[in-house]
Amino acid sequence: MTINAPAKLTVVTEGMPSPLRRRTTSIIVHVLLIGASILMLYPLLWLLAASFRPENEIFTSASIWPSSWSLDAYFRGWNGLRTGFGTFYLNSFIISGLSVIGNVLACSMAAFAFARLNFKYKNFWFAMMLMTLMLPYQVTLIPQYVLFRQLGWVNTFLPLVVPKFLAADGFFIFLMVQFFRGLPKELDEAAQMDGCSPWRIYWRIIIPLSMPVLATAAIFTFIWTWDDFFGPLIYLGEMRQYTVMLGLRTFTDSTGESDYGGLFAMSALSLVPIFLFFLFFQRLLIEGIATTGMKR
Amino acid sequence: MTVHSTIATPIEQAQRPSVWSRIWQNDAPGYLFLLPWFIGFFGLTIGPMITSFYLSFTNFDLLQAPQWVGASNYVRMFTADPKFSASMRVTLFFVIFSVPLKLAFALAVAMLLNRGIKGLPMYRALFYLPSLLGASVAIAILWRQIFAGDGLVNKLLALFGIIGPSWISNPNYSLWTLIILSIWQFGSPMIIFLAGLRQIPQDMYEAASLDGASKWRQFVKITLPLLTPVVFFNAIIQTIEAFKSFTPAFIISGGTGNPINSTLFYTLYLYQEAFGFFRMGYASALAWVLLALVGLFTAFSFLTSKYWVHYDD
Amino acid sequence: MVSVASRRQFLLAGSALVAASGLGGLPAFAQDTRLRLIFWGGQARADRTYGVTDLYTGTHPGLAIEGEFLGWADYWPKLATQTAGGNAPDIMQMDYRYIGEYARRGTLAPLDQYVGAGLDIASIDADQLQNGTIDGKLIGISLGVAAGAAVYNTKALADAGIEIDPMGWTYDDLLTKGAAFADSTGGAMALAPDGSGVELLFENWLRQQGKALYTAEGQPAFAAEDVTAWFKLWAELRQARAIVSPDEQAIDVGKLETSPLVRGKAAMNFTTSNQLVAYQTLVPDPLGIAIYPATKAGSTGGHYRNSSQYFAISAGSAAPEQAVEFINFFVNSPEAAALLGVERGVPASSAMRAALAPSLDERSQQAVRYIDQLGAIAGPVPPTPPAAAGEIEVALKTKSQEVGFGMQSPEDAGPAFFDEVVATLARAA
Repeated sequence: MTINAPAKLTVVTEGMPSPLRRRTTSIIVHVLLIGASILMLYPLLWLLAASFRPENEIFTSASIWPSSWSLDAYFRGWNGLRTGFGTFYLNSFIISGLSVIGNVLACSMAAFAFARLNFKYKNFWFAMMLMTLMLPYQVTLIPQYVLFRQLGWVNTFLPLVVPKFLAADGFFIFLMVQFFRGLPKELDEAAQMDGCSPWRIYWRIIIPLSMPVLATAAIFTFIWTWDDFFGPLIYLGEMRQYTVMLGLRTFTDSTGESDYGGLFAMSALSLVPIFLFFLFFQRLLIEGIATTGMKR
Repeated sequence: MTVHSTIATPIEQAQRPSVWSRIWQNDAPGYLFLLPWFIGFFGLTIGPMITSFYLSFTNFDLLQAPQWVGASNYVRMFTADPKFSASMRVTLFFVIFSVPLKLAFALAVAMLLNRGIKGLPMYRALFYLPSLLGASVAIAILWRQIFAGDGLVNKLLALFGIIGPSWISNPNYSLWTLIILSIWQFGSPMIIFLAGLRQIPQDMYEAASLDGASKWRQFVKITLPLLTPVVFFNAIIQTIEAFKSFTPAFIISGGTGNPINSTLFYTLYLYQEAFGFFRMGYASALAWVLLALVGLFTAFSFLTSKYWVHYDD
Repeated sequence: MVSVASRRQFLLAGSALVAASGLGGLPAFAQDTRLRLIFWGGQARADRTYGVTDLYTGTHPGLAIEGEFLGWADYWPKLATQTAGGNAPDIMQMDYRYIGEYARRGTLAPLDQYVGAGLDIASIDADQLQNGTIDGKLIGISLGVAAGAAVYNTKALADAGIEIDPMGWTYDDLLTKGAAFADSTGGAMALAPDGSGVELLFENWLRQQGKALYTAEGQPAFAAEDVTAWFKLWAELRQARAIVSPDEQAIDVGKLETSPLVRGKAAMNFTTSNQLVAYQTLVPDPLGIAIYPATKAGSTGGHYRNSSQYFAISAGSAAPEQAVEFINFFVNSPEAAALLGVERGVPASSAMRAALAPSLDERSQQAVRYIDQLGAIAGPVPPTPPAAAGEIEVALKTKSQEVGFGMQSPEDAGPAFFDEVVATLARAA
C-alpha cells in the first residue's frame, strides 16, 4: 500500500496555490502555533521558576525570573517526606500501568459488544452504563468504601485497580463505541461470512484497526490515574503506598508550615513521566492507521 | 443505537434453529463480551448507587445511622434552599459557555494540527500540557498570578491605559476565569478529535480535490459528517463533565465557592453539604437531581442524534 | 469463568502491591497492639510527631503506632469516610469546631474514667481542659494553647513610620494609622486585611462588649444590630483605605499563601498565635504579633485561650487504655515536649511550658510570650460551639463579601445574617 504517491498527486492536481502562497500559509500557521504554545507553556515555566527560587519569594515576587537559582528544593522535596519519592513513583507506575491494561482490555470488549454485536436489552444496558457516568462520585464514596472494606481491600491498591479491569469507567466504553461504529461494517460482515467467531472479529479486525482510539484511551487512563488523588487519598493509608499525587498533597497544609519549594520541585518532576508517556503514545495515535495497512 | 444483523450466519442456514441456539448465536456473544463490565456493574457500582438513592430519602450525618425522612430533602431543595438555586445557576452558566467554546477550540486546534506540518508532535505535546497539570495546586497559584488585581492580564491592559479589577476574586468575573481555565485545558477533546480525524480515509479528500472541491466544501461535506460520532461523543461527555465539574472551583476558591457563591458549582455545594456540614442525605438528593437533569439532557441528545450523527452501520 | 477472571486480576494486582510495599504493616506478633494515629499538618509537624511515636514505641515493646498525616483539606473527608465506614483510627487529631460534631454523635470516647488512671491532668491548664469538655464529658486533650492574634510585618510598618502598641492597640488606631499607612504606600499596601468576615475577630469584638457568639445552649448571643454595627465599622475602615479592597480580600480563600499579608497587599493578618511561625516562612520581612484591636483603650475580655487542636480517641477503639497512655506521654513528658516544641501551639501543661522555655528559638519564644502577656487581657473560654458553627463561619465570610462589594448595605446585612444564623442553628438541631 503506497502512502506517498496519492499525497504527491494531491499537490500536483491542486495546482492553483503558488509555492510562495504555500510558504506564507505555512509561516502563518507556525506563528499562530508558536504564539499559542507560549500561552500553554507559561504555567510550566512558572512552575519551574518557582521550584528554583528561594521559598519566601514564591508568592511575593512579581517577576517570573528567580533572584537566585538553587536545586535545593529538588533534594529537599525528593527526600522531604518520610518515604522517598522513589517509592511514590513506583506505586504510581504500578497503579497507572495496571489501569491502562485493564481499561483498554475491558472497555474495548464492552465497547465491541455495544457497537458490533446484537443482543437483547442492549440499549437498556448502554443507558445504564451512561448513567454510571452521571452520578457525582462524592455520594457513592462512602457506600463504596464500606464495600471495599468488607472485601478487605482498604489499604491496598485493589480498589484503585480492580474496577479498571471491570470496565467501571463508562467514559472509555462510550468513547470506543463511537470509534468502533465508524469502522466499515463490511469488514465484519465479510469475516462473518468466512466463519469468523465474534472473538476473532474483535481481536483480528476491530482491535488492529482501532489503534488511534486505543492509544487515546491508554493516554487518558495513564494521565488521569496518575493525576487522581481522591481515590488514593481515601483508600491508601500508609505512606509507603502513596502515589506521587498524594505525596505532593502532603507538602501543603493550609493551616501550618508547608514546603512550597519542595511542592513545586516535585510537581514539575511529576509531570515528566506523564509527558513522556504522552509523547510515546501519541505516535501510536498518529501512525496507527498507516501501520495497520489500511488506506490512508 | 440498534445494530442490524441482516446477514444470516451459515450455521443458521444449515440447521433448524432452536430457541437456545438462537440465543447462543445472537445474544450470548454480546453478554460474554460484556461480562467484565457486568461483574463490575453488579459487584461494585450498582450497590453504592442504590445506597446513595436510599440515603437521599434520609437524614444521614455520616457518623450515626441514617433516619428516613421521606421526600423532605427534595422538597427543601425546590422550596427553601437559595444555595441550591444559586449553585444551579452557576453550573448552568458554566455549562452553556464553557462546553461550546472548549469544543470549538479543541476542534479548530485539532484541524490545524492534522495538517502535515513540521514539528507536529511537539506542538501537540505543548497544547496538551495544561491538561497534564490536572488538579495540581500549582494551577490555583498560577491562575491568581494571571487574574489577580496585579496579575498578568491587568499588566497587559495597563499598556492600553485600562485599570482592570481583580478578575479572579470579583463576583462579576470570577466564574469567567474558571470558564477560561476549562477552555485552556482543552487537551482531551482535542486528542479525541485528532484520533477521529485520523480515522477519516485520506482517499476521500483526494477524490474530492480531484473533483475540484474547495477546502471549506471538503470540511463540510467530508470532515464534519464523518466526524459526527466523535463530535457527538465529545459534546455529551463534556456536558456531563461540566455539570459535574468540581475540581477547578475547588482548587481555585479553596473549596468555598466564593466570592459570594459566584463559583459555587453544583457538586462543590454537594461536597460542602456532605463533608463540610455532615448532611450526606441531602447531598445524595442533590446528586440524584443532577443525575435526572443530565440524564434527560443525554436522552434528548441520543433521540436527536439520528438526524445528524453519521455512523457507518 | 467469574472466579477465574477475577482471581487472575486479584493476583495480578496483589503481586504488584507486594512488590511495591511488601506485606508490612502487620504486627510482628499476634498479641501485639497496633494503634492508628491520624493528624493533619505538614512535614514539619509529622517529623516532630513521629519523633514522639518512635520514642514511645521504643520503650513499649509489643506496641506499634501507625501514623498518617494529611493536609487540612484532605483530612476531613478522609476521616469522615473512615468513621462512616467503621474504620476510624484509634487516636485522631481534632479541631475545636469539629470536636463537637464528632463527640455529640458518639464517635469519640469520653476520657473521664482514665483521669488519674493512665491520664494525668494535674498540670494541664483548667481552661484547656474545659475546651476539651463537651456536654460535661472530657473528650479532647489540648495539644496546644493558641489565641486570636494579629500577625504583622514589622518592616512595612517601620518603613511607613507607623507604630502600634501590640498589646493595646484599638480600632481607632486601625482607622487613623491605617489611613496614614495607605498614604505612605500610595495605596499599594494596606495596613490590615478586611477582617469583617473573620469569625474569630467578630467573636472577639462581641466579647469585648460583654456579648458572645453563642450561648451555652447553642443559641446566638448577639443581636441583628450587632451585626449591622460590625459591618458599619468595617465599611468605615474601607472608606478610609485602612484595609484592603474587597477584590483583594476575596482572593484570600483561607490558605496562608492567599492571605493579603503573604501576597504583600496588607501589612497584617488576623489569625491565631500558633500560625506565626508558618507565616514567617512565607514572608521575607520579620513578623511581629499583636492582639486583635480593642474596641476602646484598655478594653479586655475579647481574647481567650483557645486550643489549637486536640487528641481524641475513637469510641470504637479496641485498645483505649493504650491510646490514653500514649496521649498522656504526648502531653506530659518532657522528652515529648522537647521534640514537639510549640509547633502545635504553646503546651497546655504548665510543667511542659517550664521544661521547654530555655530551648526555644526567637519566633517560638515570641508566640509563648504573647500567650503569657495575654493573661490580663483574656476572658474565660466560651462554651463549645453548636453543631452548625462551621456552616455559620462560612456564611459570615460570604455575607461580609456581599457588604464589601456593595451588594447589601450593613443595615440590611445585619438582620439577614442574623436570620440565617437562626435558621442554620434550627436546621442542625
